[in-house]
Amino acid sequence: MANEKKNFFDRMQALDRRYIYLVVALAIILPLIIPFNSKTYVTEPAENVYKKIDSFVSPETNLGRRDRAVLLVFNHDASTMAELFPMEVSILRHCFQRKIPVFTICFLPTAKPLMDYALQTAKEDFNVQSGIDYVNFGFKPWALFTPIVLGMGDDIAKAVETDDEGRIVENLEIMKEIKNYNEMNLVVDFAASAAVVRWITYARSRFGANVAAGVTAVMAADNYPYLQTGQLVGMLAGLKGAAEYEKLVDVFAMHRVKENGVEKIVSRNYSKEVLKDSWIKLSDIKNTSYKMARLGMNAQTIAHIMIIVFIVLGNIGYFVNKKRDAKK
Amino acid sequence: MSFEAISNFIAAFFTLSIFSFLYKDNPFYKFAEAMFVGVSMGYAIPLVYINTFIPFVYRPIFVEHNFWILIPALMGSLYIFRFSKNYSWLSRYPIVFGMAIVGMGVPLSMHASVLVQMRSAMMPIETLNSALIFVGTITILLYFFFSKEHKGVYGKITNIGIWYMMVGFGASFGYTVMARISLLIGRIQFLLGDWLGVMK
Repeated sequence: MANEKKNFFDRMQALDRRYIYLVVALAIILPLIIPFNSKTYVTEPAENVYKKIDSFVSPETNLGRRDRAVLLVFNHDASTMAELFPMEVSILRHCFQRKIPVFTICFLPTAKPLMDYALQTAKEDFNVQSGIDYVNFGFKPWALFTPIVLGMGDDIAKAVETDDEGRIVENLEIMKEIKNYNEMNLVVDFAASAAVVRWITYARSRFGANVAAGVTAVMAADNYPYLQTGQLVGMLAGLKGAAEYEKLVDVFAMHRVKENGVEKIVSRNYSKEVLKDSWIKLSDIKNTSYKMARLGMNAQTIAHIMIIVFIVLGNIGYFVNKKRDAKK
Repeated sequence: MSFEAISNFIAAFFTLSIFSFLYKDNPFYKFAEAMFVGVSMGYAIPLVYINTFIPFVYRPIFVEHNFWILIPALMGSLYIFRFSKNYSWLSRYPIVFGMAIVGMGVPLSMHASVLVQMRSAMMPIETLNSALIFVGTITILLYFFFSKEHKGVYGKITNIGIWYMMVGFGASFGYTVMARISLLIGRIQFLLGDWLGVMK
């Protein structure tokens, strides 16, 4: 037995796993250092989130209505930032560009710095003011989750009371035409857990609020039943969902045109035909934070090919060895 | 050296320390792990104190003299008796109160997670997707009906349920792989981009 000649598959199965780590690391590092443009296909759940937010834009002014708002809930910590942060920044950019009132809130202490960081990153290129264009409600203790979610159904200002800067929410200009879920008509929950279901349970079932999910890929499968029943208006699933939303924002909300040699942003409405023919060159986007997910998806593609190769090799090895053992 | 460069260097050091576990367990990994737990707690405690204790306990009682707040405050403080052998039973009172809130959510959960799902499964079968969902729901429900042996025609039907579940598990696994790779990509993007500046 000791002298038996080992075949390729025997050697592969006895391979030190650290070599596999090394190959996976290279499969990720190389596409990030040598970037390429892979096509980002936009799926319907991501499209629906975009279209819902864009529906808050008034056709007359082509700007966000003052009696409509989006609530972004940051329900995750830094461990899942890679997947959720790009989608948070993209949605904030969409709202800021289209002048759609936006609120942010978190119920986890560790989500607070990420929420602040996302706001800082997204508002870099926009002239937006806290209290007028957006409000950061800040960190609220988890014990108050249910009272706040239910309270927002009656009066947001009373449920939240103060914002992150300690101002009375009721007195803020942004709140003039916004009272409850009738106006704050979309809640997007960014979560690495089953927290989205709580928004469906309390805000959707009780008040009919529209809920969308921005979740890690691990949680995506759990949320599909809610998507299928229409309890979720849309979903961004993992890094892929983030890449899709980044693309939608660049193609429509941040659409760039050149006039007399000067580049300017002219937002346009969503159109399936335009999306089909659109091609965004990643190197044209200077700020890396605005293309993080699409760059990541390049590496993801290569890493997935590697994993598929490993799985196929492993299975061939299993059947080859099984056949060899049966012959003995 | 700017503050950003220093913070990136520290973050890179801890990222590499954690990655070093892939080679083998070592003191750098242990140090980074302990540091993470300590920093997380050190950050969370004052944040919760400022955002919870001050506005919801201290200010109402001592500034606004709303003494009704003493009742929930005292009830909440009973949690501390979890650490006492003789008085741990006192901590059950706030737990009971918490369970009442869970109870409040049961009808709404029933609606969101059971009734709406059932209603959508009862819609007319007009598309291929709805036909697949119908077959999947029925065969999987029959698979979990254990009062009848899974043999003969019944066994064949429940077998279809198994295939459906396998497809579901496969999809979940695929998503999980994607999620884990994404997290690695995030860290490598940080190392190559923010720290080394070689990412374009």
